[in-house]
Amino acid sequence: MPTVTIDDEPCEAQIGETILEVARRAGIWIPTLCHHAALEPYAACRICVVEIDRGRAPTRSVGRWQIVTSCNYPIRRDLTVRVNSQRAIRARHGVMELLLARSPESPELGELAARMGVDTTPYPKVTEAQRNCILCGLCVQVCDEIIGASAISLVGRSVERAVAAPFRMASEDCIGCGACAQVCPVGTIVVRIHEDEVEISPFKSRVKLRRCAECGRPLASEPVKEALCRRGGPTVVEMLAGENLCSRCKREKLARELLTSRK
Amino acid sequence: MPRTTRIETAVDLQQYRRQLLAEQDPATRRVRVCLGTGCTAKGAPNVLERFHQAAKEFDQESFAVETKCTGCHGFCERGPIVVVDPGNIFYQNVKEEDVPEIWRESVVGGRVVERLLYKDEQTGKIAKTPEEIPFYNAQRRIVLALGGVIDPTRIEEYLAAGGYAALAKALGSMDPDEVIEEVTNSGLRGRGGGGFPTGRKWRSARDAPGEPKYVIANGDEGDPGAFMDRSLMEGVPHAVIEGMIIGAYAVGSSHGYIYVRNEYPLAVEHLTTAIEQAREMGLLGQNILGSGFSFDVRINRGGGAFVCGESTALMASLEGRVGEPRAKYIHTVESGLHGKPSLLNNVETWANVPPIILGGADWFASLGTEKSKGTKVFSLVGKVKNTGLVEVPMGMTLRQIIYDIGGGIPNGKAFKAVQTGGPSGGCIPAKYLDEPVDFDRLTQLGSMMGSGGMIVMDEDTCMVNVAKYFLGFLKEESCGKCTPCREGVAQMLHILDNITKGEGREGDVERLEQLGELLEDTALCALGKTAAYPVLSTVRHFREEYEAHIHERRCPAKECPGLFRYEIDVESCTGCGLCAKKCPVEAITGERKKPHTIDLEKCTNCGTCFDVCPFSAVVKV
Repeated sequence: MPTVTIDDEPCEAQIGETILEVARRAGIWIPTLCHHAALEPYAACRICVVEIDRGRAPTRSVGRWQIVTSCNYPIRRDLTVRVNSQRAIRARHGVMELLLARSPESPELGELAARMGVDTTPYPKVTEAQRNCILCGLCVQVCDEIIGASAISLVGRSVERAVAAPFRMASEDCIGCGACAQVCPVGTIVVRIHEDEVEISPFKSRVKLRRCAECGRPLASEPVKEALCRRGGPTVVEMLAGENLCSRCKREKLARELLTSRK
Repeated sequence: MPRTTRIETAVDLQQYRRQLLAEQDPATRRVRVCLGTGCTAKGAPNVLERFHQAAKEFDQESFAVETKCTGCHGFCERGPIVVVDPGNIFYQNVKEEDVPEIWRESVVGGRVVERLLYKDEQTGKIAKTPEEIPFYNAQRRIVLALGGVIDPTRIEEYLAAGGYAALAKALGSMDPDEVIEEVTNSGLRGRGGGGFPTGRKWRSARDAPGEPKYVIANGDEGDPGAFMDRSLMEGVPHAVIEGMIIGAYAVGSSHGYIYVRNEYPLAVEHLTTAIEQAREMGLLGQNILGSGFSFDVRINRGGGAFVCGESTALMASLEGRVGEPRAKYIHTVESGLHGKPSLLNNVETWANVPPIILGGADWFASLGTEKSKGTKVFSLVGKVKNTGLVEVPMGMTLRQIIYDIGGGIPNGKAFKAVQTGGPSGGCIPAKYLDEPVDFDRLTQLGSMMGSGGMIVMDEDTCMVNVAKYFLGFLKEESCGKCTPCREGVAQMLHILDNITKGEGREGDVERLEQLGELLEDTALCALGKTAAYPVLSTVRHFREEYEAHIHERRCPAKECPGLFRYEIDVESCTGCGLCAKKCPVEAITGERKKPHTIDLEKCTNCGTCFDVCPFSAVVKV
């Protein structure tokens, strides 16, 4: 079993684990944005970079310490890591400053920056593309890997890149599940509930909303119900069949039935 | 010449080559018209057509005339190029209307059309053959050797010139380990930019567990001003394919891909033809040359994204996904295309393999410097007299390449810098002109070998503007996946833009350096890590130019509009009045036949007067 030494503290690790996993277990904080435990590491945001000792391997100009992303660097043998070295901190701060310039209005990003000790950014805003999105790609990944809808993708290049459905139009494949909003680390994706539709902003997609037959509270959208039935098999179909009730009304109804039956 | 059926064994191959050579009539006269990219752009296809026409109408019995196209000769500055055999007579700047004279005098008459020969500007010496031209005689052509000689669309010509003999040797008398050892000992390093030892890569790919294994040729050349790989794929496609078959044999692969950008239609066409011909002859497919080894290649056309030249992005693109790089903490030789061991080499690297197998590792290692062996093809462009494609031994000095081969700087201007290594390379100033060109030395100078672009700049080039140009390119081509490259390059470009507009501020240069360091440390792929090099290298070697822009609002090269003034030189001005007439803001006044003056209050620095003055009396100060 390899030993990973993080900031002079030896930690146990399994082969194939990432530096981030080992650090988290040891209670060492490394900021992350595009990382989600349920998804494959994409390593795009670069906020989780740390320094590792490359030993004898030749690296250029900066000696034998190399900056790597902790979220996807695999442990294969003993490894020495510096999370809080001057260079690692400078690198993470530098990345955060660039992100703050891109998305100055996100409170979530501001909070993370503050926790990292970054108050402000020296850079101006150089693009107006997709307000407040840091292009971490989590929404795209969850839509593809977990939901299986692949309704959105990263389109375009450079700072003009954006997350969008094909041709930047409302997507027919979106089931309105809101998983993208759930994983968005900067609060850019919003689920809006309308009269009889659920809208996922900023992707323009709208799908039919189900409401509780008793109290009118919004329920999972129609396509989400269909998807659950497809995936869950007969048991789920049976469970979701019948009248549309929210969990509270369902509980109350059951309670009423129980009380009646006792009499 | 009738095509034989399948070539079953190495002996067959040898016999077929002898037969091809025997069929060549020594009395036949040949006209070779270069149809490389440069010559084609300058009208070579029409020249060739005229020669074909002339040949069709030719009815003399005493000798036959063969007219054909070839790949790039390299001397693109002087295209279209026509070579007449016997005699290897080199005609340059040939136009359609020159064809009848060449045909009558040279091809049929056996004389030389002197006016179309190369004439050395300095010595006035006329050169009849390429060997007499300085551009060629300082070169050492190995991968480009057949470039201007054979018709790339006919496999017979490649075979007659010794093609596929290296493959026969590898399959017939070497086991895969010996092939890898030969490549390792040759000291060949990746020609696509990284300079990674090729033999070591092959060894890792062979040792990597997993089936199937893939071999890939990277033909996604995208550097501005570079056309090395393009000319190779267009001119000697079989050399690339032969190299790949040998590599596949060495690492145990039966599937290959050539990734070539769709903007190279001729390369796609010639490679497609070459693959078909090789398949027909049994040089690709099942049981090649009776060895039991099978291998085939497919072409994949790239969509033109610069980033797809990066190995992991290329493989993502091959898989049909968005061309985005991924971390290489696990190398592609272990887990590449479809998660399988994949051996990717640049087109030029592959083309170096057959000569190494045939000539031997010792011969190859005898060329070049201690750690950079063999030759390197450069596309020599910019402010240099002889633009074109040159192949030189590693270790040749920049001065030899730019002055001896390139002929120096045109219009009597002074050399300022040479930009090597493509957009993320660096600019090297005049004081390093005598440095040898190899992988390590260029890196030490803050630039890199890259894939072999070489852009020469003269005294009129503003280095801040150069950095801005390359950063602009990289900003457009950044895939946008990782934060530092996507945002950092855009921020750097923003700062550079301000500086060239005279709006630079104290601390801008330091900020650029900080961003450069951040990119090198944290960007995901090699493109991002090196994206700041154009800035860092120009700051390193030309810091005073940045400072003049920022502190004095002055562009020393007088290129950035608004950061220099136009004045009329009283001595040269004849008072013709043309400038005053053309000036869009009526800033120029003066009596007829008397020197005029520019009212600097009104002048918008548009440069119209500078462009129109017939006496060069308008000067930049």
